[in-house]
Parts: sequence; structure tokens; C-alpha cells
Amino acid sequence: MSKVDALGARPFRLALASALAVAAAILGAFALIYFEVAREDVARISAILTDEARLNADASQDRLRAALTARQTRDIRRIDYLSLFDAHGELVVGNVPRMPPLPADATAHLLAAREMAASGAAAETAIVVARRRADGGVLLLGRTLQDSYTVEDTLLRALGLAVLPMIAAILAIGALFARRASLRLTGVHEAIARIMQGHLELRLPVAREGDEIDRIAEAVNLMLDEIVRLLDQLKSVGDNIAHDLRAPLTLARIKLDHALEVAPENARAYLEAAHAQLDRAGVTIAALLRISAVENGPREKHFRDVDLAAICRQAVEFYEPVAEAKGVLLASSLDGSLRVRGDEDLLREAIANLLDNAVKFTPAGGTVQVAATTVEGRPCVEVRDTGPGVAPADRELIFRRFYRASADESGAGHGLGLSIARNIAELHGFQLRVEDNAPGARFVMRGGAKASLARLSR
Amino acid sequence: MVSPSGDEQRPPVLLVEDERDLAAEIRDELQGVGHPVECAQTLEQGLSAARRGGAAVLIVDRMLDGEDGLSLVQALRDEGNPVPVLVISALSTVDDRIRGLKAGGDDYLVKPFALPELSARVEALLRRGARSRATFIKLGALELDLVEREARRDGELIDLQPREFKLLEYFMRRPGQIVTRAMLLEDVWHYKFLPQTNVIDVHIGNLRRKLDSGDGRRFIVNVRAAGFKLDVES
Repeated sequence: MSKVDALGARPFRLALASALAVAAAILGAFALIYFEVAREDVARISAILTDEARLNADASQDRLRAALTARQTRDIRRIDYLSLFDAHGELVVGNVPRMPPLPADATAHLLAAREMAASGAAAETAIVVARRRADGGVLLLGRTLQDSYTVEDTLLRALGLAVLPMIAAILAIGALFARRASLRLTGVHEAIARIMQGHLELRLPVAREGDEIDRIAEAVNLMLDEIVRLLDQLKSVGDNIAHDLRAPLTLARIKLDHALEVAPENARAYLEAAHAQLDRAGVTIAALLRISAVENGPREKHFRDVDLAAICRQAVEFYEPVAEAKGVLLASSLDGSLRVRGDEDLLREAIANLLDNAVKFTPAGGTVQVAATTVEGRPCVEVRDTGPGVAPADRELIFRRFYRASADESGAGHGLGLSIARNIAELHGFQLRVEDNAPGARFVMRGGAKASLARLSR
Repeated sequence: MVSPSGDEQRPPVLLVEDERDLAAEIRDELQGVGHPVECAQTLEQGLSAARRGGAAVLIVDRMLDGEDGLSLVQALRDEGNPVPVLVISALSTVDDRIRGLKAGGDDYLVKPFALPELSARVEALLRRGARSRATFIKLGALELDLVEREARRDGELIDLQPREFKLLEYFMRRPGQIVTRAMLLEDVWHYKFLPQTNVIDVHIGNLRRKLDSGDGRRFIVNVRAAGFKLDVES
């Protein structure tokens, strides 16, 4: 499932990155507004102060005194710095007791408010203009940037209040989309995995959103339809050939039987050999049709509760005499019952094929062991032998149709028994594999996640 | 092949098969073992012949010119006709056999088959009604007690394993009747396929060794190209 996790992580990282980018853009915009507002404020206040200083610097001292006093009275927020100094730098009137360190050049300067040492002045910045009067005195006009700060604070608060939830929302939406995409990809991935296990009847899920995933899924589904159609065609051609061969084979056998009855002694051996070959062909055709019969076999709705242990016991009983005759010990641990859902006849056939194979390949003095157990809650049938075993490279191949390990040149059997067994196992959602028994082979038929143990009836 | 005289009194086997060559072979084979045969090529012919009654056994091919022979069986069963039916077919999917037997067929034979297999099945169907359900069977020197699960030869207990007892019981219920390997597989072990090794012959061999006494009497004999037979007269 690690692939699926990786698929899930990638869209999520993408969503995170885009959320961060959006957040950065918003932050940038806010910063621009913030600094522009501050700059504009300073420029505006500077212009006003410079103008006022220019217009009023040369007014009479009495008029200025009256004007400054009136202005101070009105300035209830204490944002203005207003002072008139005489030519000696002594305060004539105003709220700045001493001339702060700035040139009387009639232009706006930024100055720390505490330089003015005015009462109530906070640790803030002020814009101050000092203009020299014709009498040598200096008119000082200033205003703190307290208002600007208030605006800036508001901006900052707005930033905090708006941007952080916005980023959270973007992240959440991104995560949601990432999760949806990842869930869909997981669905597609799982469907592909099951299709690759041979469930060609399954299709990739289509969400009907018309996006890329849907388009690919639809294309793959069409491709699967075509593959299934071709496979069916191929299979029905094969089945038809096998079918059509049955009638002539039946007749050919019968004709040979007649020939055997009347044939002279020197022809009999040939006729009997021909008969045996026809029989082999018949068995092969029967087995081939059997495989396709199993593949198109009963589906789960026809399955019933079946006791695998009982089936194994019967198979052991059936093969015991052959094993004995060969000098092979057929041992089993098959107590109790192992109930599964399945088709009894088919499971009987699968297990008989496994035993047939094991007894056939185990030399005299060897042992074949059969066990039916539950491993991790899953039904499991094991057939171990002490024969030559199966080379690692052949462990998948032996389940293919007509495959015969090179060691077996005897021609015994039709090479389809294991194929049939695997088909039957898969029909039931079981896995059939061969492992090393050191020495020998160990065939394990294990219930997969799908193969559920039948509920034990009380 | 000339039918033994007197056969005409026996009820015939009705064969519904559209392939003439195969039909002729089946007819010859069955007549050769003493069963008169009436042939029909189509479903309709077969149905009307069967409705006339008198057939001891009906043999129907499932594939009759694109028609399913099972519909004939179904029709007869719906009419309450109890004639034993053997279905022969080239079909062998897992469901086919079940469907064949469900439709009212009594036995199902898949092509390619050997003619002796066919006549053994026909014989089994003919004798089915007369088959003993007794719990004690005595045939010649052999006795079988199905309650005590004991077998005796000349009154002497034979030590049989359960599987050998089961096999002997099958033969004892069909004395003198040809029993094929496929019949043993299906009826005694419930296997619906042919195993690759000669398992049946080994089973028979084991049973034979225990049954046969030292004086050369053989109870289970081979029937060439067909199978085995319990021969209690010898």
C-alpha cells in the first residue's frame, strides 16, 4: 500500500504549496498597503505642516500666540506639537519646552516624540517642521504619527484576522481536494491490482467529473473491454475446437475398437497404441474444457458450506493404496473440520489433483503429508512431499497449462492437473502456491482476504 | 452384428441422436449386448416416440441440430413420464451436468466416451429399480452385513478397511453388472473427473487380494475395455 500512500502525499504537498503561495501573495499585498498608507500619511502631514509653517511663520507674535493657544485647546487628542521660540531659543508659547535638535529649515523631519519632551508624549515618532521667523524666532509645528499608527495597527489586526483564517481555509480546501484525488487514485490503483489478479470483469472507477483521472480511467476501461472481448474470442475458438474434436474422437475410438476385434495378431499392437494415443488426446481435451468450465464456473452465490478437512480425509483415503503400492508414506493431520464457502465437487478435484501430483513425484521411501489448518484466521491446506521439489524459476510456471517440468519426461499425466487446481483455488478466492519443503515441494492453498471461513453453526 | 433372438420382447432403448454414424455405433453396441434399440433423429421424433411409451431407457444427445435435448427430458418429466434417461453431451461445464440431472436426466455421459461405458450405464439404469436396498446381501460365497459392517467369504470373516468395504458393497449391489472406473469414481468417491494415475485399479487390486481365496476363485473380474464385474457364479 506504500504506492497508494505516495500517491496520496503528492497531491497534498501540491495543495500545501499552493496554499503557501496564495498566503505569501496576500501578505505581500497587505504589506504594500501598509507601507503605502504609512508613506502617504507622512507625506500628507508633512505637506500640511510645511504649508502651515510657511503661511504663519511671519504672522505677529500676538496673533501666533492666540492661534497656538486656541489650537492647543482644541487638540484634545494631544497629537499636535506647537511652539514659538524667540530669537534666543526661549519658549514664547507652546507645548514643546525646548527647541528640539533639528534645523529650522522649513522642511518636514521625522523626530522621536520624546525629543520634544512634551507632556503626554508617548514613545512615538512625530513629523516636525521648524521655520525661522523674520524676528529670528522659530515656529515649530509638529504632529505625532499616532493616527497613522492606529491605522497601521488596524491594518495589522485585519491582516491577522483575515489572512490566517484564509490560509487555514486554503489549506483545508487543498487538503480536501488532495484527499479526494488521492482517494480516487487509490480506488483506481486497487482496481488495477485486482484486475491484474485476473478479475477481468472489474473496471476502473469513473467519478463522472470529466477530469484527467476520469478520461484515463475511461480509456483503460475501453481497453479492458477490448481485451476481454479478444480473450473471449480466443477462448471460444479454443473451446469450440475442443468441442468439435470430441465427436470425431468418440467415433475414431469406436472404429478402433471394432478394428481390434477383427484385426490379425500382428496389427493389434499398432491398433492398441493408436487407441492409447486417442485416449490421451481425449483426456487432454477433457482437461482443457474442464479449465474453461471452472473459469466460467459457479459463482459465489452457488457456494455452500464445505468442510475442507473432510475433503482432504477422503482424498487421503482415495490415494492411500497408490501411495502404499509405491512405498510412499501418506501421512495426514486432518482432525476436526475446516469450513469454507465453496463448490464441494471442485474443491474435491483441486485437492485430489494436488495429492495425485505429490504421490506421482515422490519416490519410494518418501513421505506425503496433508494438513488442513487455520492460519491467521484463514483456511489453509498444505500438501508436502519429499520428491524432487520445484526449482524456484519453475514455481509459477508449473501452474501454466501444459507446462511440464523438464525432469518429468515420462509423459505421465496431461500437465493440466495443477492448472485446474489453481483455477479452482482462484475461483474460491484462494491462493495456490508451491514452496520449498527442503527437500521436496510444499503446495499451499491459502484463503485470501476474500475467502472467508464459513461461520461455524452451533 | 446380429441381435440374439427373443430380443423383440424386451422393451427397447430409445436413442435420440442426430449424428447418424454415432447413432449406428450406439445401436450396434447396445444390440450386441442384447438391448433392442429404437432410433430417432430429431427432438420431435424422440418426443413422440417417448410419448408412445414402452422404452426401457431413453438416451438423448444434448446437442440436436441446435436444439437442447434437455428440453425433451424436461417435457417428458413434466408429463410425469418416469423413463430412465441417460444424457450424452460434448458439453461439460460444471453447471451442465447439474443442469442435465436437474432437468430429469438420471445419468450424464460426456463425449468422448467408450461404447462399453455407455452400455454399462444403460445396464445400470435398467437395473436401478431392482437394486437391493437390503442391509444383508448374500451372493454365492460372499455375505455382506451392512449393519455390523462385516464381510464374509464361505462364512469366514474378511478383514476389510472401510474404503474396501464401501467398494465391495457397490459391487454386491450390482452383481454381474459391468461397473466402469468412471462409475466407481462418481458413485463411491464422488469425483466427477478422471484422476491421472491408476488409482481405481489399485483399490480394486487390494480388494481382490482380500476377497480371493487360495483355491483360485475370482470374484471381481476385469471386463476388457469396460471395467469390472462381480462374478459370483464362478
